[in-house]
Amino acid sequence: MRRQRDNATTRSIAVGGLARVEPRVWRGAMPVQFLYTAGAAGERFFQTLKRKGIFTATHCEECRLTYLPPRLYCERCFADLSDTWRDVTPVGRVYTFTIVHVDREGGPLSSPELVAFVRIDGTDGGLVTRLLEIAPEDVRIDMSVEITLAPPRKRRGTLEDILGFRPARSVAKRPFTRR
Amino acid sequence: MKRKPRRKVAVIGAGLSLFMRRALETGKELSYYAASQALETAGVRLKDIQAVVMATAPDAFDGVHMKGDWLLDGAGGVRKPYTRAYVGGGSGVFSIISGWTLVASGLFDLVLVVGEEKMSSCQPHPQGAFLTIFDHTIERPLGPNLLWIFSLEQHRYMSSYGIRNEDIALVSVKNKRNALNHPAAQVAANLSVKDVLASDVVAWPVHRLMVSPVSDGAAAIVLAAEHVARRLSEKPVWVQGVGWSLDTSYWGNRDLAYPRYVERAARMAYGMAGISEPRKEIHIAEPYDPFAYKELHHLEGLLLADRGKAPDDLARGRFDRTGELPTCPSGGLMGVGNPIAAAGVMKVCELFWQLRGEAGARQIPGNPERGVAQAWGDLMQIGTVAVLGVH
Repeated sequence: MRRQRDNATTRSIAVGGLARVEPRVWRGAMPVQFLYTAGAAGERFFQTLKRKGIFTATHCEECRLTYLPPRLYCERCFADLSDTWRDVTPVGRVYTFTIVHVDREGGPLSSPELVAFVRIDGTDGGLVTRLLEIAPEDVRIDMSVEITLAPPRKRRGTLEDILGFRPARSVAKRPFTRR
Repeated sequence: MKRKPRRKVAVIGAGLSLFMRRALETGKELSYYAASQALETAGVRLKDIQAVVMATAPDAFDGVHMKGDWLLDGAGGVRKPYTRAYVGGGSGVFSIISGWTLVASGLFDLVLVVGEEKMSSCQPHPQGAFLTIFDHTIERPLGPNLLWIFSLEQHRYMSSYGIRNEDIALVSVKNKRNALNHPAAQVAANLSVKDVLASDVVAWPVHRLMVSPVSDGAAAIVLAAEHVARRLSEKPVWVQGVGWSLDTSYWGNRDLAYPRYVERAARMAYGMAGISEPRKEIHIAEPYDPFAYKELHHLEGLLLADRGKAPDDLARGRFDRTGELPTCPSGGLMGVGNPIAAAGVMKVCELFWQLRGEAGARQIPGNPERGVAQAWGDLMQIGTVAVLGVH
């Protein structure tokens, strides 16, 4: 760890009417990086997406909940959902969206980014994603959208395989009705 | 202790995932395996559970900030009062204490307690995260890691009482051998003292085989109030006493040869349990053993051996599975593995199975009636103790 003398050391600031010297500071870091696994359910989700270009979800019959992203268990009743897999067409509706103008540090973005939470049809879940092929002023809450995936050969079985969602070319039929 | 709690609390179910070097399963999924198994053995469903306590150590291990909340659904805490118990390495046993307060207070009758750690996420080694537990002004500029501290402490322990490294290596031999009978074990082995001392020196006098591994895993128990426990369980295991205590966080102001914080925590738990002669009244112990010497150190703090004499007791077989006071019959952290918070809960699970006579090939003889589990952590100065028994 390198101790740094701050340039402002000698600058006086007023605190509660008393002049005092701004404190010396030094830097530190937590020297770690991370290796994550998708998990048993996540691995199946991403392998299906990579190979077949569709989503896969799990379903709790008792709680009438369809989990997307899929889970191995129902968070309400702890039922084992490992035998309840179903294919899901990656289409949905814009549940909410925002137009992002600044980056993490508060600096301006060169062009604003469209970020939405998309509820996937036939499920009780969804994904945070980017909206593609649409101008911010044209986005509407509840509009139908469909997935834009990376080309099959470029897919790696990660979230980056999903480039975003674009307005649906035809109004998507809901695969089945819930409740 | 100001007042004895009036409500009795029992453990009525226990569950464990495999402990392993790197699990495909997420921490949530590991938690679910352990928690759902604990519920099943207790004969209760998640909807019967009124509150959940989740024990998990530093966020940086899993690489998820505020991971207690992230693990919520895997621990069964959705739409329930949910608390994270977090005192570093002591979290596992502290989580039982946390759960116990929720039931003993009369607030809830059925509480699920889950411990989880997925340390394989943290690269190149969790020691990088541990760096920042040291004081940023008086310690971190030296670039310390935990091995320094444990080695310094082990050396002080050895020199204070004239203990040889061979005496300490025997803990690794015993625990790794005990773990051969544990179906969840990660590093079970049949080794000799010579093998242990032939392994690399990581920081003298500590050799690699005297250090527990980096692990992924989860463990869980179900706690019930007396009237519920008697209805649901034929063999409830009662939490007879709990205790915890912290020493100063300054290394320089602590006694490194003797863990006084463990003694204080033990005296609190023994007082609550009505134990006046722990060596006669406790039949089985699961002291915290992340490093080989720590089991001996902690047994002395738990007043189960004379100061500096635990190595002699170990050498004459007192702590063997068939000995007078079996210690770490599970195989402990040295044998089963060390997914930090889960390892502490695993120790309570072991007492639960042993006291019910359900430990299979690990079962100690003589129908044990009372056991003690202990963990240690925070800034290496907390002792957490739970006494469990069949009455």
